[in-house]
Parts: sequence; structure tokens; C-alpha cells
Amino acid sequence: MSTIGRARQRIAATWRLWWCVLAVGATLPCAVAALTPPLIEPASAWMIVSDATTPPQADAAWQPTTLPDNWAQTRPGLRDKTSWYRIPFERQGSASWAAYLPYLYDGGQVWLNGALLERIPETNAQVHVNWERPHLLVLPEAMLRADSNELLVRAALTDSASPLRFPRVSLGSLVQLQPLYERRLFWVRTMPQITVVLSLLVASIVLFIWWRRPSEVLYGLFGLAAAMWGIRTLTFVVEMMPTEQWHWWRVAYHSTTGGFIVVMALFALRHADLRLRWLERTLVAYWFIGPLWLASQGSGVETLVGRLWTAGMIPIGLSIVGFSAWAFARRRDVASAALLIAVGLAVVAGIHDYLIAWHADLVGRWFPGWAGHRVFLLHHGANLLLVVMGALLTARFITTLGAIEMLNRTLEARVAERERELAGNYERLGMLQREHAAVEERQRIMRDLHDGLGSQLFTALSRVERGDIGGPDVAQALRGCIADMRLALEASAQDDHDFLAALGNFRYRWDGQLHHAGLHVTWHVDVPDDTLVLPPHAALQLLRVLQEALTNVLKHAQATRVRIAIELRDDALHLSVEDNGRGLSPRQSPGGRGLANMRARADGVGAQLELRSAESGGTAIALRLALSRSI
Amino acid sequence: MATSVLIVEDEPEFMRRFSDAVLGDPGLSLLAAVSTGAAAKAMLDALAPDVMLVDLGLPDISGVDVIRHAVRRWPGIDILVVTMFGDDGHVVGSIEAGATGYLLKDVAADRIAASIHELRVGGSPISPIIARGVLARFRALPAVKSGAVASPPAEASLLSEREVEILRLVAKGLPFDLVGETLGISPHTVVTHVKKIYRKLAVHSRGEAVYEASQMGLL
Repeated sequence: MSTIGRARQRIAATWRLWWCVLAVGATLPCAVAALTPPLIEPASAWMIVSDATTPPQADAAWQPTTLPDNWAQTRPGLRDKTSWYRIPFERQGSASWAAYLPYLYDGGQVWLNGALLERIPETNAQVHVNWERPHLLVLPEAMLRADSNELLVRAALTDSASPLRFPRVSLGSLVQLQPLYERRLFWVRTMPQITVVLSLLVASIVLFIWWRRPSEVLYGLFGLAAAMWGIRTLTFVVEMMPTEQWHWWRVAYHSTTGGFIVVMALFALRHADLRLRWLERTLVAYWFIGPLWLASQGSGVETLVGRLWTAGMIPIGLSIVGFSAWAFARRRDVASAALLIAVGLAVVAGIHDYLIAWHADLVGRWFPGWAGHRVFLLHHGANLLLVVMGALLTARFITTLGAIEMLNRTLEARVAERERELAGNYERLGMLQREHAAVEERQRIMRDLHDGLGSQLFTALSRVERGDIGGPDVAQALRGCIADMRLALEASAQDDHDFLAALGNFRYRWDGQLHHAGLHVTWHVDVPDDTLVLPPHAALQLLRVLQEALTNVLKHAQATRVRIAIELRDDALHLSVEDNGRGLSPRQSPGGRGLANMRARADGVGAQLELRSAESGGTAIALRLALSRSI
Repeated sequence: MATSVLIVEDEPEFMRRFSDAVLGDPGLSLLAAVSTGAAAKAMLDALAPDVMLVDLGLPDISGVDVIRHAVRRWPGIDILVVTMFGDDGHVVGSIEAGATGYLLKDVAADRIAASIHELRVGGSPISPIIARGVLARFRALPAVKSGAVASPPAEASLLSEREVEILRLVAKGLPFDLVGETLGISPHTVVTHVKKIYRKLAVHSRGEAVYEASQMGLL
């Protein structure tokens, strides 16, 4: 069964394993081990540097070596040399057997007892390979010998920046090895695939938010970090690449790895409210060094770049922990604590990975079995970090929404308050206007008393003192004054400013007087009740005009009939006094001043006064006051 | 028998004018002419005038108090209030206290005695402003006389329809003959109605005063 041919089985197993990992984790292999013979995991083997496409003969210069074999330690300086590894083993038990290679990064061949079992594509002129996946090979029953067997593996190494790394191979029953294979496959293959999809999806959403709201820098940084992490992880997911693009693929890998760390540092700085321009620029500048170096110098320097430039990311990672700790110290909230923990874990994972990659001997010194497994943790640390950052920004987003709602409520309350204030202002303004109107009204009436009654009294006094008039004339002058005063009182008496009320009293008084003088009086009042509201001064002026007109009729007209009409039509008040007396022309001079007075009073309230001959031969005075405008 | 008249007026000029008018009419007899409220009350305790002419602006007490005193002492008395312009609320206040007529201060001398006679035969004068004031007072009165009568517009329950109509026509400035003509009654009936209206206002106002006093715990 080929590696690729097991895809279906693997998908099912991936799910099964996923649940196993969640539920029982590492206890599962132990349980299986109890039922079946122990795995054979040889710690030593034979190796030979040889580019042969078939296994070298047994008498060739095989050298003993330990497994796992990391040339960085065992053969430093030996580069780009394909090698063969020969692993002898004894078959135990009768179960279906398999061989498990946790990794064989650059491909090669697997032979069993001198026969080819599997060919894993190698880097050639067209394709560059980088197999992250593990390999599980079923050892056909027919090819196995009863006692001693020999597994021969060609480990290719062509045009690679890394030294050759050969794993400790596991041999045993398929039942035992399958879970080991599945578990590693999940972590090195499925998990990165999920990471790529999720990171790029989240990045596109968050970067879209940032595009629309550039002021939300944290969103932008988070989006960039997620995008770079997605692309970086993609370099592990894509295992075969056209050779001419391989170099740029590596540049992309280093850009995004360094970029992720630098952007994380910027994020942590911002989150801690630290605005250190120089530091931010230095970080970004450092980020550019690695990819530029690699891009300009070619693949040959990748080892150097990996060792030196990537090492520089460790202090940056530590500084991220520092910034996060600072933020936590200042804020003391769950979000900052979570970020601090996640950053801490990611940095530890990053350091671990760096050591596994470049100083596996150091790791091996403290954890002998671990380094050879070549399990990289930064993937998962970074995933955790991205999840925490996403949660943090989501929490921020929700808090912001809450704040906006609160702001809206506050604003609404403020608007309502302003409305109340405005209403209050309007009320005060209205009150002031009313007060002002009242004051104006009072001043008008006082001026009126001064000019009218006052001047009449002074004139009468002066004429009496001069001896011009006596007895009856004085009485008449004084009666005139009293009549004028009565008129003023009538015009101002009604609280509701009903002109008809004032007119009623006027009519009551003048009716008797005109009858007494022998005149036949007709009143024609065509105004609906309670509809004619006039300010007192206007009412007074209109009554004065009427009074003047009636006085003229009494004094000068020698009439026998008088008709007084008050009508409301076409939005205007029409007053008219018509007599059947002597008519206009013969009494122009005596009526002169009275007429001027009437005109002045009509003008004062914006009314038009017309004097003409009546049809009956007498005089007609007509006044028209438009009511639509304020008086 | 001549109508006996009590004059209460603090201004000598007018006291003389009114006294002359009374003295000059054979149908009238001057009982007394006093210039203070206290003196008027003393006179009312001792004498029973048919008619009292009273100025509201007395130096010691309000003319309205004198009117109340007079009505309590002699319920059948006719009271004429002397007013300068006949415009103020004092006239309506006096009617509520018990006055049945008013006399303008600048009235022609020959009209003084005539007014007294008209009052005695049952007619009361009224001007549009006073008609309005009286209408307004009736509207403000609660129907205290009879709790059984539910009366949305108080005026309607206290005044007859005719009385309301008379007041409304007078308020428009129509002379009595025209009011009578409109309502199909004689001018004399109109002024008799007016006097009845005045009496009603006084009764209801007293009722209201009693009601208010009982509410306050004075009675």
C-alpha cells in the first residue's frame, strides 16, 4: 500500500485520532503496547554516503551510526550528500508488520531485504521537495524473513540548506504503528492545513475591517500577523515546489516567520500603550534584513540566515513577553493575562523549535529521546496566540459596541436635556415677550392719556385762565375729557381684548346721546361673537375714530339719520359712519382738524380711512383695518 | 308717602349735589346724609331708609360693608352705588353685596331723582360692561343652593333662559327698548328682569359666602 494510497483511511483515522488526542492523549499507545509485542526502535544502524540508486553491497564501507542521526552534530561540514542507512531487525510475533519513519524530509527509497518497497520523490531538476509528513510502510509478509531482516533507506539530500537528518525508525505491528503515524500526521500535516485556511480567512476579515477603519491599528497588526502566519504555514503544507521557485518560497518562509514575530512585537507594544517610534522602526528594519539577505545572496546563505537572523528573533520574542507583562501590570485584566500567557508559551515554543532545528544536541543533552522526534511546537503556540489575539480583539470590539450604546444613551439623554432647556428658554423668551408687550401696551396708553386727555385738560385750563371761555364751555370741555377717559377705560377693561365688548359699551353710551340729539340711529354689527380680538390700544384708536365721527355728526352735520356699521369681511374690519346731513364741501374747514386726527389715529394702527359723500347726500367715513398682520 | 333716602358720600361737592336732587323732588325725603361708613351704620341701626345712595370709596370702611350691613338690617332696602365710570368690578361686587342699581357721578342732576324712582318701581340700570361682569360672576358661582340640581353651566341653573338672553343682548350694547323688542317684552319688563337678576346674584353670593364659611368652620 503506497503512502498516497492511504488517504481515505487517513482521513477517517485523523478524526479518530483527533478525539483520541482530546480524550486520552498519550495513554493510547501504552494501552496498545500492552497487547502486542514491543516496538523495535533501533538506536543504531549502518550508514554510507552514496548516491547509488540501489542499496550498496553489504561489503561496502558501511559505518556504524546512532539513530536518530543529525549531521549537524555527527558530521558537521558534510553537505548535500545522499546516504544509505541499513537497519537490521528481528521479526517478533506474527502480526502484520510495518515500518514507521517519522520524517524523511528530502525523500528517498525504502528497501526490504534487497527489494524496493517504496520510492518517495526526491528533489530533482524540476521539483524541490520538502516532506513534512511521516511515512508508514507495510512490510509485505512475503518479503519478510522469519529471523533477521534488513531495512535499507536511501535518504536523499540535494540542494538543501539543512544538514541531513535521519530519524529513529520504528518497526513493529501495523496496529501499533498506525496510531503513531496518524498522530504525527495530524500535527505536522492536518493541523497546518487547518491553520492555513483559518489564518488566511481571519486575516482577510480583520484586514478588511482595518481597511475600512485605518485608525484601528491593532486590527491591522492582528490581520498582518494572521496573514503571515498563514503563508508561513503554507510553506509546510506545500511539499513539492517547482525548483525555480524554491528559492523565493524560502524567502517567503523567512519573511513571514520573522514578520509574524515582529508584528507580534508591534501588537504587544500597542496593546501595552507603549509608543516607541524608534523601537518600532528598528524592529521593522530588522525584519527586512533576513529576507533581503537571503533574496540577494541566494540559497547558499540560508543556513547562515537561519542560524543568525532567526536567532535574533529570540530576544524580540522575549521582549514581546516583556511588553505583555508590562501591559498586564498596568491593566490587570483577563485579556492582558491571557495574552501574556499565550505569548510566553509561543516564545518558549519558538525557542524550543530554534534549538531543535539548530542545536538539537543541547536539547538532546537534557531530553535525550525528544530531539530526534523533531516535533516543532511554534505552530501550535502561534495558533494559540492567534486565537487569544482574536479573542482579545473580539472582546475589545464588544466593549466598544457597549461603549457606543452607552454613548448613544448618554447623547439621547443630553439631547432630551437640551430640548428641555430649549423649551425652558422659549418659555422664558415668551414670558419676556409677553412682559415686553404688556409694558409696551401700558406705555402706549400712558402716552395716549398724556397726548389726549392731558392736552385737552391743559388747553381747557389755559383758555379758562385767559378768560376765553366760561361756565357751559368749561363743562363741555370737561365732559369731553371724561368721555375720552371713559373710552380709554372701555377699550382696556376686557381681559380677553374682545373688541365687541368695548364696542357694546360704546354703543350703549352713544346710543342714548344720539337719540337725545334727535337722530335716528341704525347700528349694523356683522361680526361673529368672540372672534374679534384686538389689542387695547388698537381698540381705543378705532373707538376714537368712531367717537370723532359721531361727534362731527352731532356738531356739524345737522343730520336726522346716522348709520353705523361694523363688519368683518375679507379678513378685514370695516367701520363706517354715514349720515344724511349737509355733506362734505360746506364744512371742510371746521372738520379739518377732526379729520386729520382721525387719519392719524387710523395710521397709528395701520388702517385706511376714507372720507366721501354718502349716497343720501351726507358724509360717509369708512375705515378698513386688515387683520391678517399683527397690529 | 315720600321715599326716604339715606346718602353716604364723603365728598362734600357730591353730597351736596345728591342732597339737592333729593330735596328738590317732592316724592323723595332726605333721611340723612353722612360722610363715613361708621356713621352710615349708626344711621341704619336707628332709621329705616327706603333707598340708600352709597359711594364705595369711603374714608373709614368699604362701601361694600355698609351695603351688607344695610341689607342685613333692612332686607327690602334699595341701594344705589355711586360710581365714577361704572366700569370697575366694584359695581358687580356691590351687586353681590346687595346693591340693586348704580349711579354715575357725572350723571345730569335731573337724572338722579329719576334713577331713584325707577329703582323703587322695580327697574335696575345695567350697562354692557356690568352685564358681562354679572354673567361672568354667575358662571363662577357653584350651585350651592340645591345639591340635587346637577348643573354643568352654573349660569343656566341659577338664571332663567330669558335672564341669560337679556344679559347677553345688553352686553352687546343694545338699548333696553331694542332688547325688549328682540325678546318680545316691554322695556320696563327688561329692567324688572335686571333687578331680579341682581337679587339672585346677591342671594347666591351670600349662599356661596355661607357655604365657604361653613367649609372653613366659621359657621
